[in-house]
Order: sequence, then C-alpha cells, then structure tokens
Amino acid sequence: MSRIGVFVCWCGSNIAGTVDVEKVREEAAKIPGVVSALDYKYMCSDPGQNSLRNIIKEKNLTGIVLAACSPHMHENTFRKAAAKEGLNPYFVEIANIREQVSWVHEDKERATAKAVDLMKMMVEKVKRDRPIEDVRVPLNKKALVIGGGIAGIQAALDIANGGVEVILVEKEPSIGGRMIQLDETFPTLDCSSCIMTPKMVEANQHPNIKLYTYSEVEDISGYIGNFKVKIKKKARSVVEKDCTGCGECWNACPMHKNVKSEFNVNLSERTAIYVPFPQAVPLVPVLDRSVCLHFKKGGKCQKCYDACGPKCINFDLQDEIIEETVGAIVASTGYDLMDTSMYGEYGYGKYKDVISGLQFERLLSASGPTEGLIKRPSDGKTPQTIVFVQCVGSRDPEKGVPYCSKVCCMYTAKHAKLFAHKVHGSQSYVFYIDIRSTSKGYEEFVRGTMEQDGAIYLRGRVSKIYEDEGKLIVKGADTLSGNQVEIAADMVVLATGVIPKKGSDKLAQMLGISYDKYGFFTESHPKLRPAESSTAGIFLAGMAQGPRDIPESVVSGSAAASKILGLFSKNEYEVEGTIANVNEATCVACFYCQRVCAYNAISKKEIKDRSGKLIKVVANVNPGLCTGCGACVNACFSKSIDVKGFMDDQIYAEIKALAV
Amino acid sequence: MANTKTDEKLQKIAKDLLESGEVSLVIGYAKGSNLQRMRPVFITKAEDAGKLSFNPHAVQDLAVFLKKPEVKKFGKIGIVVKGCDEKAVNALIQEYQISRDNIKIIGMECNGVIRQSLADKGETNLSESAVYDKCLICEEHIPVLYDFLIESEEPKLVLSGNVKPYSGIEKLESMSAEEKNAFWAKEFDKCIKCYACRQACPLCYCSRCIVEKNMPQWIDTNSEETGNAQWNLIRAYHLSGRCIGCGECERACPVNIPLMLINEKMAKDVYNMFGYKSGLDINAKPVFGVFSESDFNDFIK
Repeated sequence: MSRIGVFVCWCGSNIAGTVDVEKVREEAAKIPGVVSALDYKYMCSDPGQNSLRNIIKEKNLTGIVLAACSPHMHENTFRKAAAKEGLNPYFVEIANIREQVSWVHEDKERATAKAVDLMKMMVEKVKRDRPIEDVRVPLNKKALVIGGGIAGIQAALDIANGGVEVILVEKEPSIGGRMIQLDETFPTLDCSSCIMTPKMVEANQHPNIKLYTYSEVEDISGYIGNFKVKIKKKARSVVEKDCTGCGECWNACPMHKNVKSEFNVNLSERTAIYVPFPQAVPLVPVLDRSVCLHFKKGGKCQKCYDACGPKCINFDLQDEIIEETVGAIVASTGYDLMDTSMYGEYGYGKYKDVISGLQFERLLSASGPTEGLIKRPSDGKTPQTIVFVQCVGSRDPEKGVPYCSKVCCMYTAKHAKLFAHKVHGSQSYVFYIDIRSTSKGYEEFVRGTMEQDGAIYLRGRVSKIYEDEGKLIVKGADTLSGNQVEIAADMVVLATGVIPKKGSDKLAQMLGISYDKYGFFTESHPKLRPAESSTAGIFLAGMAQGPRDIPESVVSGSAAASKILGLFSKNEYEVEGTIANVNEATCVACFYCQRVCAYNAISKKEIKDRSGKLIKVVANVNPGLCTGCGACVNACFSKSIDVKGFMDDQIYAEIKALAV
Repeated sequence: MANTKTDEKLQKIAKDLLESGEVSLVIGYAKGSNLQRMRPVFITKAEDAGKLSFNPHAVQDLAVFLKKPEVKKFGKIGIVVKGCDEKAVNALIQEYQISRDNIKIIGMECNGVIRQSLADKGETNLSESAVYDKCLICEEHIPVLYDFLIESEEPKLVLSGNVKPYSGIEKLESMSAEEKNAFWAKEFDKCIKCYACRQACPLCYCSRCIVEKNMPQWIDTNSEETGNAQWNLIRAYHLSGRCIGCGECERACPVNIPLMLINEKMAKDVYNMFGYKSGLDINAKPVFGVFSESDFNDFIK
C-alpha cells in the first residue's frame, strides 16, 4: 500500500498569493494513499526540508509529492533530501503550481482548482513510481578542443595543466586565432603578440597537448565520456617533424604577388608556400595547392623543394584521417566579420581607403604589411584625418544583425587613440550610436581617447561616403547638435559586426548542440550553465557563443576547462536514470525509434539463444546518449518503448486522476 | 482450365528458383474452388510449381504472408506480386521487416483485378466498372521493383473517366467537422472489433498490436462507440504515410466499413503536405521517421 506525503509550498506569496494552499493541502489529505499533507512557507528552506525528512521517517513514506515550483528549480533539492532518508530519489514528484498556476493565473478559485488537479495527477503518478538507478558511464579522460584561438588555447592549457591529455584542433595553418591578428589590446594597450605568442608556444610544447593545425573535425559520434572523433589533417605538403621553419622555401616561391594574405586581411600578398605570420605556431609552412604552380602546371615548378635544406617538402602528401576517443569537447570556433557589402553607401570594396577594423589592426601591427606605420592602402600616404564608423552591421535589424557586437566601441576608441599616438597632429572622428564600455577600466579608456587624444565623437549614423579629389567625403548626422556633418577624411575605418565562424552551424549539427538563429552556440542555461552546451560533455568557449572580448574569452576558456577537469575528477559520469527502455518481447524492430532519435541513442541489438542462433533483432538504447526526451515513445507503433519515470501506466493514471 | 502463357512463365521461374535453391518457398496464387476465385499457395518443392497461376482474379495481396513467423523461417522466399502488392514488399524492406537479399520478387504486370463481389456473380471481363478503385488510379501496372517480370496478356484497361475512383474523399472534404464525425461515427458503429482489417494488412506487422496492450488499456476493447472510434482512428493513423493502398483491409471487413476512404485520404494528405508516397523506394526514409526544417509548421500557434 502506498504511503504518500504531499507537501504544498507557499513560496512566500509567490504561490500562496494566488493559490489557496490550505485548500490544496486539505484536498490532498482526502486522497486514498496520502498519509500526510502539509503546507509550508518555503519547502526548499532548511526547516522545510527538515520537516519533509522527518515526515518521511515518521510516516515511513513510500513517495512524496511537492506542490511547488518548476522541477527545474528544486527537483534535485528534494530528491537529495528524500535520498538522505533512504527513499529512492525518483519517488519524488513535483506538481508545478507556481510557473504553471500562480504565476500565470489571476482568479484564485480557479487557480486553486487547477493546483488541486495537478497535485492529484502527481499523487497518482508517484503511486506508480518504480525505483530508478542512475546510469554510470565510464569516462575517457581526454579532451578535444576545437579551435585554437585565445579561448581554445586557454581551455587547452588549463585542462593540460590539470594533468589531462588534450587534442587541440585548428583549421588554419597556425594557432592564435583572431587575437594574434590584433595589435595592442584595450584597455591596457598590451601588445597582442607579446601576450599571445607565449601562450601559443606553451600550447605547442605542452606534454599534455597534441596539436593538429591545418586540420578539421570531420565526424563526431558517441556521447559524454566516449566521443569518437575523426580529424582530417589536410595535406600540408611539408613533413612537419623535419621542417626547421628556416623560410628558404617561401623565399624561393615564385608566386609572391598573386595571392592575398588572409592573415593580413588582403592588405598584402603571400606566396603559395607560406606561414601566415612570422610567429606562427607551429612554424611550419603550408603549401596552398590551389595556387601552387607545381600543382597547377603539372609538376614543373619545384623551386621550394630545391631550396629546402632538410628536403621536407613532399608534393605527394595526402589528407590524413586521425581517429581519437575523447571524454569531453570544447567548441571554441570563434568568429568572422560580417560582410558589409549591403552597405553600398559606405563604399567598402569600392574605395581602397575604406577598410575594416581588423584591417586597421593589421596596419597598426608591427608585424603587419606596413610594419606598424599607418599608411593608406591606395597610395601609401599617412592619413591625417580618419573617420571611424561604429555599428556597421551591428544593431541594425534591417540590414545587419540586431545584436551588439560588443567589442567595437572599445576597439574603435583604441584605434583612435593609437592613431593619435602614431600620427601626431592627426584628427579622428567617431560616429557612434551609443558607447558601451562597461568593464573594468573601459569607461576611463574611452574618456581618455576623447579628452587626452582629442577624438571627436559624433552621435549619429553615416549616410554616405564618396571620393572627391583624393579625399573621402563622409556625410552623416550629429544627432546631439541636430546638424548634418560632412568630413573630408583620408581614411575610413568601419567597425564591422561579428558573426559566428563560417561553418560553425555544420559543426554544431555534427556535435548535436543547439545554436541560435545567427549561428552562435547556445548555452545549456544562459546564466547558470554558461560553459555547457545543450549536450552533455560538450562545452563552449569564446566568441563562438556570442560577441565577447579577450578577458571574457579567456574566462570562458578557463570555465570550460574547469568543467572538464571537474567531470574528469571521477571515473564515471552519472546520467539521470530517466531514459528510454525497450520492451524486447514486443519490439518488432521497425526502427522508427532510431529514425526519430535526435541523439543517435538507438542501435540494433541481436538476441541470440544459447547456441548463438539469432532469435530476433530489437532496438537498444544507449544510456550514455539517451536524454529521455521521449521522441521514440511517440514513434513506436506497438508501444514497446517507455521512458523510465514517465511510464505509460503513470501517464494514464495522471489522466484518469483528472477524469474523476 | 489449361495453363495460360503467363502461368507457364510463372511456373518456370518458380521451378528454377526452387531447384537452384535460390529460395526455399514461393508464395503465389493457385486456382481456387471456382473459376472466379484464386487462392494463395505456398510452394516448397519444384515439382509443385505447376500449381501456380495468375489472372485478374488474383485479388489478394500476398505480401501479408511475409510478416508471418511461419513464413519467415523459410529464409529466402520468392513471392508473386502485382504492382500494388509489391509496394508493400518495398515498405517492409524500408522498415527492416525483410531483407532485399532474402526475397525474390516475381512481378506481374497487371491491368487490374476484378472485384471479388462481382467475380462471385460471374464477372470475368476486366472493365472500368468491374475493377477496384485502386486499379483505376494505379500507376504501377508494372511493379517498381522486381527480379522477374511477367508481362500481361490482358488488354489494357480502357478508362472513360465515367467511373470516379474514391469519389467519397471529395464528399468527405466538403463536409463540416460535425458532419464528418457523424459520418464516421455511423460507419464505425458497425465495427465488431474482429481486427480482420489488421490481419489482412501487410504492414500491420507488430507482434503485439497497440490494442493488445493492456497495462494500461489505452484502447477500449469492447465494440461500442468509444472503442470503435479509437481503434479505427489509430489503425488509420498508424498506416498514414505507410499504407500502399492494396485495399485488403476494406476487402476483409465483414461489415463493409469504407476503410480505403480513410486510408486514401491520409495518403493524399501526406502527399500534399510532404510530397511522399509510400512503397516506391526501398531506400527512402519513411515520412514519419524524418524531420525536415522545411516541414510545414503552421499548426503551431
């Protein structure tokens, strides 16, 4: 016989304000099988939990129902409390009378009636609960980090320093990501290379980090603790272990004027065999077969091979697939800049001296195409007047994206500042909508740009940019003075908005993690689980989640690492036991369940007799992958799959409870 | 009656298949107790292949036997199928119930089969008004998949357009929800829960049907209003996007519930909404087993 306890929580006035909690308690007491009914101001508080535990003990309860807030909030709290009294934690059921009743209804009488109904349903459900054991999944204590920018490097280093092996995969020939393209960084003006290269080198030399550059994740299957990863190591045409990075090959390459440098954002050229930048890690060149004469002209040119001392250039190298098994993954794929071609009025691509913020970074950088001197791409002259345009693409739902790209206000202030420092007597103008400078030292930094470095900030949008007698005429509005302004500039820098890295949606699909409509990976909970993806064992870091600056990217990389180290501190991972369960006796192996499973959790299982003869094939649920979503239950024609804790007879009893 | 050329070809194929050991069972048609009736026959010995025959009275969908454990145990099986029946074979392969490697399909070109009710009264001529509705809309006179094909000796069916197949669908679609309910309530009222529709269906292969699940008993087993509606609607729903339109359920129904009306309406809706027709491709993903971002979702309010 069931001995059920019902606990009605007031949640202060959150529930009690709209629901007659005493009435709910009285109705509960009338239900056969309910031996104890209580209402209390805060069930989740210590005294609340203690009274719950005492009653479990005193009345020897077989199940408890909490008429309280959403199970998302406190199901775990009460499960733990019940477990302490020796009750299987899955004998705890929650009737959500806050989010589903008091917060959404006004009429107290009807809200109370609904609360009573929900409570009754859960009483009938809890009577039919069976003990459920959590599933334990063994963990392969090795991590994969996808993307070797600052967030990925930070994550890899922290994990590696925690004593765990890491595989760091980077698509480009070198790690370093976007940060290594930057010049000095706000708000302290540290030189990006100076602070980034030591980290890159450390990642490369770390005994626990295996680095795959010029490589891509080709396929991922499996589940937390046991992901099978296929990594495509693209043919580099250079044998990495023999290369000394001497540079003879790229100096010998005849293709030195034809290919735009991706690293310098098209502001310079590179050779066919190249390292993207002098501090590249690893310092091993890549041969770009799409432009190399050897590949385009049938093997005639082999100047790089001839120049190479250790003879480590091998034109016959092929793409290689490397298979690894890891227990956890960090997705830190970073960002791209938005295509600004929809802003025809700004003339990007049409006028050589209208450039993006990232291009300006390269002009500022000592390792950039101008060796750190600010020169106009058109004629190499030093500009005296620069107009910076903020929010190009960002905060523009019509043409661009509605979100704020977050870093542009700060890097524009930095650009204007550095321009003033490098070109004395120059003048910069900044068109902005709002200035967002909320982190430590940021507001002071922007103030400094305005007040010490003399940048003129104009609140308004730019309507048109056109060329006139060697000048770029910028027409815009100054909404604070209400005037139209026209500035004759030597150069215009567009603070282009950021978007997720191209192809990150494909990766998300491969990983089975969710992403928002722009393609940014979404967190398991935006506030409370910001480092976790929607899939267990896959963590997020850096700009792949959304616009953020370097300190935030570093923090998120470390957060993901600490989550992984925490996960790996145990030998097994516990998965909630509420997963799908196949009735093998009635399963006819049509595998509609497999087709509808979004988690690849269902496989075919052969049932054999003692002599090894195949009796039948049935569906089999992988407990590590199953999330208990129940899609398979709906798909099963013969009702041969149930989700534990949500069994057919329980759902039926809940419905019946309403009918009485 | 003497063997036709069709019969001879059929018998030869079956004989060869059994003799070579390529199959250990051939399911086909044999002449029945009267000239207008064909009955299923199970040939396991090459010398019995002479029993096989085929003509426009070969009404039954033999694919129904492929789901039976006593048939499955033969392993490799040959089966005589019309175009419509063959789609059931494809659907069974799609749904992993049989393996393409284990089945030899003897496809019969078919220009239509004569309604059993008319045949029993002596009708032997293929005509627009004598055949089933499914024959009038048939697009698979030659099966879509086969290992052997036997061409028909029958003349092609001449369609004047005077007979409108499944005309009930249009009538149904013009009804209000209440009228539809009333229409089906009246039809389902006749149901005696004999489950002949299920037994005759080649795609109702669950070893335990949902109606037999009794903890809890979702579907009332007694034959009264609620239980009848539950059964008939769930049967139709479980076959939507799967039914290949052989019409065996309706033919088997002892109380003449127009089951093909509901099946064809479902098939029509599935085609309009998802562009999917069942049983045409063994590699296609069944429509209810896939999700596509382009699926209509205007039902979400």
